Amino acid sequence: MSEESHEYHVRVDWTHNKEGNLIVDGKPEMKISTPPEFGGPDGIISPEDLFVAAATACLMTTFVTFKEKMRFDFKSFTCKGKGILERVEKGFQFTRIHLTTTVTVESEDLVPKAERAMELAGRYCLVSNSMKCPTEHENHVLVG
Amino acid sequence: MGEEPKLYDVTVVWDPNKGGEVQLEGKSSIKVSRPKGEESSPELYTPEHLFVASVTVCFMNSFIYFTRRMHIDFKSFECVGSGTLEQIGKSFEITKIEIKSRLVIDSEELRSKFERALYLGAKYCFVGNSMKSSIAHENEILVG
Repeated sequence: MSEESHEYHVRVDWTHNKEGNLIVDGKPEMKISTPPEFGGPDGIISPEDLFVAAATACLMTTFVTFKEKMRFDFKSFTCKGKGILERVEKGFQFTRIHLTTTVTVESEDLVPKAERAMELAGRYCLVSNSMKCPTEHENHVLVG
Repeated sequence: MGEEPKLYDVTVVWDPNKGGEVQLEGKSSIKVSRPKGEESSPELYTPEHLFVASVTVCFMNSFIYFTRRMHIDFKSFECVGSGTLEQIGKSFEITKIEIKSRLVIDSEELRSKFERALYLGAKYCFVGNSMKSSIAHENEILVG
């Protein structure tokens, strides 16, 4: 990894009630809203979803980076992320994120490599490292 | 708002042929990619974008929440979030996020109320308060 810095720009336009559009240059527009538990509509992506999605997707992309460095292939990767939002002194805050990951590899000899790549991905996940709350990992590597 | 913790579940799946996808029950999926490298696709969201989007959208929702409590209506609202990713020790972190908002209101008389709603929206932004990143706000209020 190099010393350079990167910038990420996003735009949000309010449309009506508690809804709006998320706009990022060159990427698909996304409808967003307040979640139902805070008075928003059902079925629309909320910032709380995006926060947990960012940590979960970052674990995946970091894992892919390490598997390339370690030169091995995997067959599938699924990570289930759960974020817990709780009332603290100043309103609500995410207090914990739990990530359960299952990676499938071709043969038994790749298991330790995949386990190591998962461990490194957890440690170097830049999104989790940018969050105040702890991230718990539960990793399963299967041969299949 | 109740005192019960709220849970947010997401699943991220990596398919070696199709790439990564964030799946949220009952909501649209978000295709994701790494920002760079062999399997990156510039037309897809990255975890870094999702992270910056989560706080930008949360600020909007939080602002709307306070306008409702204060019984004030606005004409339009948009905001732009910019996150900076930097190397901290051996890994990377999103160290700062700047959020610039542009609000259009009906009359000058309401300006101070909206300034207050924007201030409270930032102060009680759940997602922003869950991040280590420093968050700076710049708000523009126009009468039109």
